[in-house]
Amino acid sequence: MKKILVIDDAATVRMYYRQVLEAEGFAVEEAGNGYEGLEKALTEAFDLYIVDINMPKMDGYTLLRTIRQEPTICATPAIMISTEGQIQDANAAYAAGANLYFNKPVRPESLITTARLLTGEHRA
Amino acid sequence: MNAPVPLAITEEEFQKFRDFFYRKTGIHFEENKRYFVDKRLIDRILATNNTSFRNYFVMLRFETSGKELQQLINIMTVNETYFFREEYQFTCLVNSVLNEIVTRKRPSEPIRIWSLPSSSGEEPYSLAIYLLEYWPRVDDYAIELIASDIDTTMLEKARQGRYDQRSVAHLPPPLLRKYFTALYDGSYQINDDLRQSVDFTQVNLSDLAQMRAYRDFDVVFCRNLLIYFDDTSRRIAAETLFNALNPGGFICLGHSESMSRITPLFKVRKFPEAIIYQKPR
Amino acid sequence: MTLIKKHDATGDAPREFRHQSRDRAGLLCQLEADAPEQRRWAALDLAAFSDAADALCDRLEQETQTPVREAILTSLIQIGGNPVVCGLMPLLRSEDAALRNQVIEALQQLPEAVSPYIERMLADDDADYRIFAINVLANLRHPQAPAWLQDVIERDDNINACAAAVDGLAEIGTPEAIPALTALPERFADDPFMQFCTQTAIRRIQGHGA
Ligand SMILES: C[S@@+](CC[C@H](N)C(=O)[O-])C[C@H]1O[C@@H](n2cnc3c(N)ncnc32)[C@H](O)[C@@H]1O
Repeated sequence: MKKILVIDDAATVRMYYRQVLEAEGFAVEEAGNGYEGLEKALTEAFDLYIVDINMPKMDGYTLLRTIRQEPTICATPAIMISTEGQIQDANAAYAAGANLYFNKPVRPESLITTARLLTGEHRA
Repeated sequence: MNAPVPLAITEEEFQKFRDFFYRKTGIHFEENKRYFVDKRLIDRILATNNTSFRNYFVMLRFETSGKELQQLINIMTVNETYFFREEYQFTCLVNSVLNEIVTRKRPSEPIRIWSLPSSSGEEPYSLAIYLLEYWPRVDDYAIELIASDIDTTMLEKARQGRYDQRSVAHLPPPLLRKYFTALYDGSYQINDDLRQSVDFTQVNLSDLAQMRAYRDFDVVFCRNLLIYFDDTSRRIAAETLFNALNPGGFICLGHSESMSRITPLFKVRKFPEAIIYQKPR
Repeated sequence: MTLIKKHDATGDAPREFRHQSRDRAGLLCQLEADAPEQRRWAALDLAAFSDAADALCDRLEQETQTPVREAILTSLIQIGGNPVVCGLMPLLRSEDAALRNQVIEALQQLPEAVSPYIERMLADDDADYRIFAINVLANLRHPQAPAWLQDVIERDDNINACAAAVDGLAEIGTPEAIPALTALPERFADDPFMQFCTQTAIRRIQGHGA
């Protein structure tokens, strides 16, 4: 079973991604800010990170930059999902190390398709 | 007709409380702790003269003093200390952390370790025993062990070094025999060499002026104290701990405590035995 | 036994610059020093001077080092009051995500001082700015916070602003918010995410499954 770490400070957002992804057979863990996300990522192996931008203690960009420098986890794919809809936000996300960028709210179908693609979980 | 309706916590209320309490303290209650949590919550609801979980939660959530949250933390946690508590961190110290620290030390330079809060001394003495027993290079370096607490009664107890059975229960028996003398009343006296090897001082972690004097530490053990602080006090405490450390110095928190609820000042370092925080170099 | 006991528990003598003056003028000067460590100490010491708020906020805007930023914000929280809030609010528009979020956390620690500005922040033209104001509110120990969040879900046209408010209401909402929560998904073409959040918030407020 592929494991996904959802990192977002909004509890309802985490619960939503969890519900959508668990229904598709993914295992989901949660972290409430970037720093907690980094701790979990360093403690446990995941197949995908889903990362918000604006969070207390550590924002999503800083988190992704840190992950991309950590030898044990730097190759794990990451989707960044945020409320900030400008072109430069997507560019900043890619520069920080995101594999994909979405605006909120993300459609459940898009989340599922990209999660499958990025984790290599190809199912019918 | 005024027989009170018996209070009960619903599943949704439990989850709401659980999320809030986790965010504030890092303590996560599994579903099987439900009875334990509900019972204590109901005790507090009644003790504060509230009539429902809803009223109580509003009070807890909006109270500026943070007193009620502190009460809750007190009844939901184990406030006692004992030898070899959270031992994996000591293992991490001798297997990983110290070896990294000494790469930056000149041979004559001491390694400075601080246990804050040290309470009745179990933690700093555990450190001393661990270093002597398990760090192969202990003879190559001068090590300074400083232990501080706000409570002078605790410090006096620590200096005396006399412990009951419960405190030493986690010590391997050979170490208990080696470093302690069993007394007739069933307690254990720690030996003089160990008592001499730790320096006990009185310190209030929230007092910036007092903390200012404490500098140049390589490792600080600050376990099971910050969990009782409110957000602003934690923040100030984190600043003072940062100041007390050498660049590249390490800080160990208690197992449910995490810098992710306190400050971004420190780097996260993952060692085989534990997650430890580091002041950037 | 090699562990040694030294009678000076406190470490070596403080670094040279610590001997510099710690009066207000001296500290303000050190706040602009080249060495980050020196700026950090000045920022911490300036907590004792309530009229240093402006200088600290100005420094914060340019400061790039996390330890100095944190020290500045720690002192600003201790100083508190309206000048601090006025100095911090514009930084929510910063391009720097780390700074914005540090500022949000600091404002959350100043419920009384922040409260007179909330309505103005929630009426801002920039949706991102409104969302930051909502983030401040969601963790603010202020009795009016639930009512402000309810206002957002009744009035704001931005789906993400509303979703942020719903998330806050899931924790601090009162039964009065339920009608507004129930009506909300319709305003956003029954977006599945919005439906999920509002249902979750309603369940949490009622304290039992709907
Ligand atoms: C639960 S004990 C922790 C002891 C040990 N570190 C451990 O983990 O087992 C908490 C201690 O913190 C001390 N304490 C409380 N407030 C303090 C403060 N502001 N500064 C220093 N110590 C404090 C108390 O006196 C008490 O001994």
